[in-house]
Amino acid sequence: MPLPSLLDRRLVVVTGKGGTGKTTVAAALAIAAASAGRRVLVAEVGLDEHIPALLAPGTSPVGYEGRDLRRNLRVMRIDPYEALAEYLGLQIGLRGLVRRVFGSRSFRQLMDAAPGWRELITLGKIWHLEQMQQSKGKPRFDLIVVDAPATGHGLTFLDVPRVVGSAVRTGPLSRHAGWVEDMVRDPKRTALLPVSLAEELPVRETAELARRLRDQVGVAVDRVVVNAVTTAPFPPGLEDLDARLARLPADLVVPGAPSPGTLAACAAHLRARHELNARWMRVLADTTKLGLVVLPRIARGVHGPDDLAPLAEALVAPPQGPPA
Amino acid sequence: MSAAQGPGELVRERRIIVCVGTGGVGKTTLAASFALAGARLGRRTAVLTIDPARRLADALGIAELGNQPTDLPRERLAALGVPPEGRLAALMLDMKRTFDELVARFTDSEEARERILGNRIYQHVSDALAGSAEYSAMEKVFELSERRDFDLIVVDTPPSQHALDFLEAPRRLVEFLDSRLVQVLLHPAFAAGRFGVRIFQRGSERVLRLVERVSGVAFLEDISEFLLAFEGMSEGFRERAREVQARLVGPDAAFVLAASPATQSTRHALSMLERLTAAGVPLAGVVVNRMHTWPGRDSTPDRVPTADLASEAQRALAAAFASSEGPAFPADAAARAALAAADGYAALVRSDAESTGELTARVARMGGFVRRVPELSGDVHDLEGLARVADLVLEAAPSGRENGENR
Repeated sequence: MPLPSLLDRRLVVVTGKGGTGKTTVAAALAIAAASAGRRVLVAEVGLDEHIPALLAPGTSPVGYEGRDLRRNLRVMRIDPYEALAEYLGLQIGLRGLVRRVFGSRSFRQLMDAAPGWRELITLGKIWHLEQMQQSKGKPRFDLIVVDAPATGHGLTFLDVPRVVGSAVRTGPLSRHAGWVEDMVRDPKRTALLPVSLAEELPVRETAELARRLRDQVGVAVDRVVVNAVTTAPFPPGLEDLDARLARLPADLVVPGAPSPGTLAACAAHLRARHELNARWMRVLADTTKLGLVVLPRIARGVHGPDDLAPLAEALVAPPQGPPA
Repeated sequence: MSAAQGPGELVRERRIIVCVGTGGVGKTTLAASFALAGARLGRRTAVLTIDPARRLADALGIAELGNQPTDLPRERLAALGVPPEGRLAALMLDMKRTFDELVARFTDSEEARERILGNRIYQHVSDALAGSAEYSAMEKVFELSERRDFDLIVVDTPPSQHALDFLEAPRRLVEFLDSRLVQVLLHPAFAAGRFGVRIFQRGSERVLRLVERVSGVAFLEDISEFLLAFEGMSEGFRERAREVQARLVGPDAAFVLAASPATQSTRHALSMLERLTAAGVPLAGVVVNRMHTWPGRDSTPDRVPTADLASEAQRALAAAFASSEGPAFPADAAARAALAAADGYAALVRSDAESTGELTARVARMGGFVRRVPELSGDVHDLEGLARVADLVLEAAPSGRENGENR
C-alpha cells in the first residue's frame, strides 16, 4: 500500500537533532505544499525566527501575527506568552489585565519556572489554527508545518497534552488538552517528520526518537528524512575513479585543473562520504523499518528559495521503501 | 589579558574550559578531546557532559555514566599517550540528583528537606525548570573544582538557544528568589504596605487564581509552599550561585565556542558570540568543526575550474587515462567525472569558507584563536577518534592517519 502523501495531512511536525537541518526541511516542505496549491502555514516555536530568512531573504520578522511570504504560504512564530495571553483572554475575557500582568518581570520569572505550559499552549494554538475555517467546511489552512524543538524536547513537546490530560481530570483545561491530544494522535491529521543525517549519532538518536514517539506518544511516523546525503559520486562503471586518478603520473599537468593527486583526494572524499552515508542509511532503514526520504547535499549551502526548490521536490517524492 | 592563547595553552594552564555552542556542532566531541589532551599533558582531568543523548558515553565507550566522575582504565589511557600522573574521568550530569544533593546540603533539618523534596513544584522544577540543566551543570562544576583532585575540568554545556543560559542560570535563580513576586508570596503582609506592590500583587494573584480555575491545579498553594521551604536555604544558594559565576568568568576559566559551517549553525554561533560579548564574557576562541579543507598543495579553491570546465583539461585528463594501464574503461566519462568531483568539492570548500568568514574574522579581531577542524567528527565514537580530534584542535603532530575522513 503506498504511503499517504505528506501534503494530505493537516499537521506535519518536523523535528530532528540539532544540526540536521530541520528548519530547512520545514521551509522546503512548505514550498512543496504551496506549489501544489495548498494553503500552508509554517509555525516556528523557538526563540528566534529562521524560516523567513530562508523563504524571503532580507524580510522583516513575521512575529506572532504572521505574514504571507509567498503565494499560499504564511509564516508565524508562536510565542508561548502571546498564546497564553490569547488563550486566557478568550477564556476569561480580561485581556487588559492579562497583558499588564504578563508585562511584569516577576510574573515572567514565575512562569519561566513553571513546566509544561509552553508546550501545551503552543500545541493549543496550533490546534486553534487547524480548526480555523475560511468558509463553512473549508479550513483556513490546508496544511500546518511546525518547525518543532530538537529531538529530546520534541518528544516532550508532543507528549505534554497526554501528561496534562492524565494529571488534570476536570475543567476546561482538561477538555482542551483532550482536543489537542486527539489531534496529535490522529494519524490522518498529524504526522511527525524526523530529520536525520546519514551519520552515526543522528541515526541512533533518530531511531530512538521514532520508537518512543510511536510507542509512548502514539504519533504517526511513517517516514524519515535523511538530509545532506552525498549521492552516488561517479557514473556507473567508474566506481574506482579515485584509485585510477591516484595511479596517474604525479607530474601530469592538466591545464587549468588541479594536479592528479588533488583530483584523487577530492574524488576520494566524495566516495568516502557517499559510503559513510550509504552505510548509515541502511542502519536507519533497518532499525526504524521506515521509508527514507533522501535529500541531496547542496554543495553551495541553502541560502534562499532557489536552494530549497530541489529539496522541496525530493521531499514529496515517494520514500525509498524499507528494506525487505 | 596576555597575547592570544591557543587551545594548547588553555589545556595546559586553565582549570576550567567551558565549551558552548548550539546542538549538532560536535561540542561534546570537542569537550572530550580537550579533556584527553589535558590528560596527555599529565593533568588530572574531568569532563562533564549534560546531553541526554549520551554522546560522550558513545565517544568514550563507557556504557554507564553516573553523577560522579568515572575514571577511564589506566591501560586505555596509556595506549593513548597519557602519562602515569595523568587522569581522565567522565561524568554525565544527573540533574535531579544534583539538585537533591544541593537541597540536602543547604537545609538545616530533616523535616525541611523532606518538605522540599516532596513538594510538587520542586519535583517539576528540579528536572523541568527552564535552566535547571544549566544550573545543575554549574553546580557540578563548582563541586568538582572544590574537590581539588582535578587539575582541569572541561564542561560540555547543554544545547540551548541562548548561549548564556549556562552562565546566567545562577543569577536568574537568585533574582527569582529575590523577586518582588516571590517576596510578596512569602510575606504578603509586609509587602502590602508598599505603594505599587499591592496593585501588582492583586493583579498577579488574580491572574494566577484564574490560571488555577482554568487548570484545576492548586498552583498558588504549591508555589507558596515551595518558596517558603526554599527560603531557609536561599541564602546558601545565593552565595553559591555568586561564587560559581565568579569562578567561571575568572582568569582560571576559558570559554570556547564550537561551530560548524552549516549556514544556520553559523547564524546561531554569531548570535551566541554577540550575547557572550555583551555579557562581558571573554571568549578564548572558536573551533569550527567539520570544515571542508582543500586537499591540494598546488591550488586554492578559488583557482579550481568551476562549472565551465575547460575542455582542454578534460582532453588532457582523458588522454592520460587512455594511456594508463589496466582494463579498458570510458576515459572521457572518467575525465568529466573527475573534474566534476573536484568542482563539487571546491564548492563545498568555498561555501564553508564563506559561511564561517564573518564568525572567524570577528573572533580573531577580539584576540581569540580560530581553529578549523576538517570534517571527521561526524563519526568519532572511540578514544582513538578523540585523540585525532585532539591533535587537530591542538595542532600537534598527528598520531594517526593524516586525514580522518579516510577510514
